Amino acid sequence: MNTKKFGWLLRREFWEHKGGFFWTPMVVSVIMAIITAGSVAIGVTKGSEANIRINGQVVTKLADQFSGEEKAAAVAQFANGYMASAVPLLFVLSFTIFFYCLNALYDERKDRSVLFWKSLPVTDGATVLSKIAMALGLAPLMALLFGTILALLIVVFISLGAAAMGVNIFGGVLSSAALYLAPLQIAAMLPIYALWALPTVGWLLMVGAWARSKPLLWAVGTPLLAVGLIAWFNKMLAFGWDIDWLWKYIVGRGLLSVTPGSWLAYSPEDLEMVGRMKQVALGPLLAQTWQQVTTPNLWIGAVVGAAMIYAAIRLRRWKDEG
Amino acid sequence: MNAASIVVKASGLTKRYGKSVAVDNISFEIPAGRIIGLIGPNGSGKTTTLKAMLGLVPFEGELRVLGLDPRTQRDELMENVSFIADVAVLPRWLRVREAVDFVAGVHPKFDRAKAERYLKNTKLTPKMKVKEMSKGMIVQLHLALVMAIDAKLLVLDEPTLGLDILYRKQFYQNLLEDYFDEQKTIIVTTHQVEEIEHILSDLMFIRDGRITLSATMDEIGERFTEVMVPADKVEAARAMKPIDERQVFGKSVMLFDGTVNGVTREKIEALGETRSPGIADLFVATMKGTYA
Repeated sequence: MNTKKFGWLLRREFWEHKGGFFWTPMVVSVIMAIITAGSVAIGVTKGSEANIRINGQVVTKLADQFSGEEKAAAVAQFANGYMASAVPLLFVLSFTIFFYCLNALYDERKDRSVLFWKSLPVTDGATVLSKIAMALGLAPLMALLFGTILALLIVVFISLGAAAMGVNIFGGVLSSAALYLAPLQIAAMLPIYALWALPTVGWLLMVGAWARSKPLLWAVGTPLLAVGLIAWFNKMLAFGWDIDWLWKYIVGRGLLSVTPGSWLAYSPEDLEMVGRMKQVALGPLLAQTWQQVTTPNLWIGAVVGAAMIYAAIRLRRWKDEG
Repeated sequence: MNAASIVVKASGLTKRYGKSVAVDNISFEIPAGRIIGLIGPNGSGKTTTLKAMLGLVPFEGELRVLGLDPRTQRDELMENVSFIADVAVLPRWLRVREAVDFVAGVHPKFDRAKAERYLKNTKLTPKMKVKEMSKGMIVQLHLALVMAIDAKLLVLDEPTLGLDILYRKQFYQNLLEDYFDEQKTIIVTTHQVEEIEHILSDLMFIRDGRITLSATMDEIGERFTEVMVPADKVEAARAMKPIDERQVFGKSVMLFDGTVNGVTREKIEALGETRSPGIADLFVATMKGTYA
């Protein structure tokens, strides 16, 4: 594939979806930064009873109540956990990706612009792959970039707040390696995220390339209705089938796999371990994430996703738009 | 004529939609350097034929465009074929600047300077989005992009539908003056036949999925004659079986096909004042009963 052309295809996606992939995370970041700055300011001015809670952790107390040990623990927790501020962005992103994939091959058919794109020497395969690269590559990277900037801003605000109350944690936080490692650790999860999300992405693209109208209804309704019917038959006729399996692997993997970290829901031990964590530790989380490469769940999903992506490419190539 | 100068070659081209046949076993050849008008009523199969050429739909039979099979070699084919499939298929979010950048980025035969030169003569500005444009302006943008591509074949399917006469005239004028040369071939379908007949070199009538007439404009002029028949010669003229007859200012205008019923030029000229028929009249005469 010609990389220069592919670069233009990605730019094309960015132009069209600047709102979802650039402005939305930007606006959410700004709002979150303002809210944090505001609550820190209120905490500082309220003085004595101020306990600034960020992500459920008490980050500042009055200086005189702070022992050296406590301070060190707070700093460590803070440096490790500050990226949690970016989590809302990642969840917003999963919504954006869901609807992006659903409409990526549908909107161009609806407004007939597919006829313009197909008048240029760009293959259907390259076009569809550029949309996937946008959804699972560029978009998460952009969201992570915004998330990191936001999280760092929040670190600065809180540290300023603490300083105003006589606790200086700047040195401790800024010299903590965890602070700098955290964005890279999250970035290192992206390949697994991309593989994990393939069945949902493939399904949505395929439905978008096929549906004459109401792609959302088809995409969400078909698996829900199918599994619902099977569950009903199962109950009526007492087949004793494992319906939970269908909900988890057909509906869950097919529709919800674009949610970051949703793989945790498929291994109870991992979920439990995360629950037990007293403080966010990205290192173990990253290791766990990469553990997914040993599970058939990841790979079977990826293969099924790839097959549906192939189907979407064929549909775009041959579907007659009248 | 050597094989290399044949741009499109179809034999036994057929396209079925379920049980109905949209294109019914047609065969034709289009040489390079021509402007072909593909004329037919609604639902006659002209758009389907064009789609088959552009590799947009599967079909049966043989079809070669620039020596390539549009079904299996479409990616290669599109480097040398451009098309405007319909008015207003540019996406609404696209800006003029983005459109030029993108086509320049993906098309090896795009001449950016030419597109920009053409755009300068319009009211379009680089920041303008398609959704802010009138239909005529969208077509201007599309034409600017397409004209700057040095393609061997340009396919236009109703490129001026819904535009006012100023835009329509300008469209074809630009195409003729700044784009067309003997290396290029243009295939155009339109319902406004009379507006393009002066630019066409060839004509193809299509009806019910079949080609009913395929000839150069010169051949058409030779073959068909329109005569203004005075009242006293109407009976004699009718005996020669004109393919069409209509009344203009109380006189009968009859259209004769020189290849049937023993009609000769001398016989026709004896009837009255003759002239070459317009394509529109010819079209109406040959398509009688289409919708009946």
